[in-house]
Amino acid sequence: MSMTKEMEQTFALFYGMANALGDLAEPVQMAPEERVSKAKGVYLEKLDADMAVELESCIHCGMCAEACHFYLGTKDAKYTPIRKLDLLKRVYRREVSPLRLVHRLYTRDISADELMEWQELVYDSCTECGRCSMMCPMGIHIAEMVGVNRQALAAAGLIPVELQVMQQGQFDKGTIFEADIDVLEYKLNEINQQLGFEIPVDQAPAEIMVLTSGLDIMLFNDAMAGTAKILHHMGVKWSFCTEAYEAANFGLLSGHEDTQRKTSSAIINKAAACGAKLIITPECGHAFPSLRWEGAEMVGHALPFEVMSISEYLGKQVMAGKLKLKPVAEKKVVALHDPCKVGRMGGSFEEARAVVRALGLELHETESNHQYNFCCGGGAGVFLINRAADLRQKAYEIKMGEIKQTGAESLVVSCGSCRLNFEVGKMKAHDTINVDSLVALVADNLAD
Amino acid sequence: MSLLDFARGPAMYWSLVIMVAGILLRLVGALLLRHSKMLSKPRSERTVWAGLRTIVRRSWLPATLGKRVMIQQVTGYVLHIGLFVVILLFVPHIEFFKGLIGLSWPGMPNELITLAAALSIGVMVFLLIRRMTDPVLRAISGFDDYFSWLVTFLPLVTGMMAFAHLGLRYETMLALHMLSVELLFIWLPFGKLMHMFLFIPSRAQEGAKFERRGVQA
Repeated sequence: MSMTKEMEQTFALFYGMANALGDLAEPVQMAPEERVSKAKGVYLEKLDADMAVELESCIHCGMCAEACHFYLGTKDAKYTPIRKLDLLKRVYRREVSPLRLVHRLYTRDISADELMEWQELVYDSCTECGRCSMMCPMGIHIAEMVGVNRQALAAAGLIPVELQVMQQGQFDKGTIFEADIDVLEYKLNEINQQLGFEIPVDQAPAEIMVLTSGLDIMLFNDAMAGTAKILHHMGVKWSFCTEAYEAANFGLLSGHEDTQRKTSSAIINKAAACGAKLIITPECGHAFPSLRWEGAEMVGHALPFEVMSISEYLGKQVMAGKLKLKPVAEKKVVALHDPCKVGRMGGSFEEARAVVRALGLELHETESNHQYNFCCGGGAGVFLINRAADLRQKAYEIKMGEIKQTGAESLVVSCGSCRLNFEVGKMKAHDTINVDSLVALVADNLAD
Repeated sequence: MSLLDFARGPAMYWSLVIMVAGILLRLVGALLLRHSKMLSKPRSERTVWAGLRTIVRRSWLPATLGKRVMIQQVTGYVLHIGLFVVILLFVPHIEFFKGLIGLSWPGMPNELITLAAALSIGVMVFLLIRRMTDPVLRAISGFDDYFSWLVTFLPLVTGMMAFAHLGLRYETMLALHMLSVELLFIWLPFGKLMHMFLFIPSRAQEGAKFERRGVQA
């Protein structure tokens, strides 16, 4: 399935809108001393025993660079993953390390200029994909600590403007890309007519609370409509909820913890109130870990329900024989992209593969696959940062290089921002391979 | 007191005291920091097993990652095995350990020890040149990297010279060899040589963290 004319037009409109995000806000003004003090406050609050052990154990071998798509794509040493932790490491050495009195003699304090320089390193040139964490011979979880760096920079008023606009909007209104309740209802009406049934909204109790995302509401309607069609077909008790439907979490992506907590809490509280047993996150990579792995931390207690990404849910249903699919009309060779946040950082690999097999597609794995998969280049909000466009494209080329080597006729993806990044990358590189939503493929091939 | 007596006596004693105290301080100090509690429901509870598995698995990377760092992996193995052989299997060293901890074990012939030392020296020179010329390594290197290299290199060279009766008279070379080892002992807790202990908890906790999420690290 390729993009329809209508989708292409929507894509162009959306791409233009995303490009203009940076014009909607001004960088935060703050005194240099205040930036340093706020960033340090976050570093000191977050530094724990795990991080201490990892920061202490680095041998400066530089192997992490060879795992990173941004280094491999540019060969610029400044993108070496472990270097991105330098400010955190220095604060640790000077203020926390058991040898701090000695370290202080030769470890420079961090400065506001360095914090500003690090903005590019921890936002533009890191998708927190975690591939470097798999390469490190000492087992340093670099991606996790880049997340702490984003929090420090966020506190220091240094979120890139595009992400700042998204974060502020989500904090104030609970929505992204202006996909508010009116837009959602409009889209749902459209999809209702297209599907010929009423999508359940605000129905309680609903065993399954389904989330969607501004990206799917505004652009990838096929994924949203597909989810509804599949769940309706399966006859499960599910519902969208107008008080908590946005799965994306720009608090997590920007490092703004208050926004992350507010966004996650709204969903978690609503799901608990509805008596939901399961939350399904849409084809939106980071939405899954934001609830599955970080949701409990945000509300301070274990979640009283399960959280699955839509690809994991569908795969589990296929594996259990509860969801029957018919083979696609034209059997073809496909490659599968594991979104980093669902795969390497999320633990779901085989479910998407089970779906691909059930669709009768011939899966050719990319050379780097499963937990060693290359990122699309646009994850963790990087797809929205304008000045990162060239970096993203370099990373895309590495990923697409592996995809082309498989001989696949199309690529199956279950993440909206990956899809977006692939579509933009294709446009710039004049690549023609189809990029299909896993959910849309399933929805088109439900067995009677 | 001769230089050799000094090296064998107070210098050895105090360097060992500093080393042991420093190692304990650095390890315990880091491990005693706050441990974050994870509240999410794990996919797997076998985190201890996974931690142990990652300690072993991370010793050789899967091909898709390893092919890009083959030089580092191979030189790393040659150097570490070389140092292991020279430090622990050279008969005079075994005598030293016997005096220190009361245990001894069979050694290896001197020819093999010489070969291991020569290989280690060769690899270390290569790695130093690499660190000084490779842009990535230059971007992340500092005093610790060069000083840790030096305090590892000096015992190898002085040991080889003493063994081959090169340079100064034997007793002086032996004293210099012992002093260079003592410098290594003193520096060990302060720099990256601590990775000889830290790789264990660091790899283990990464293995455990990924296992919680259902991923083999």
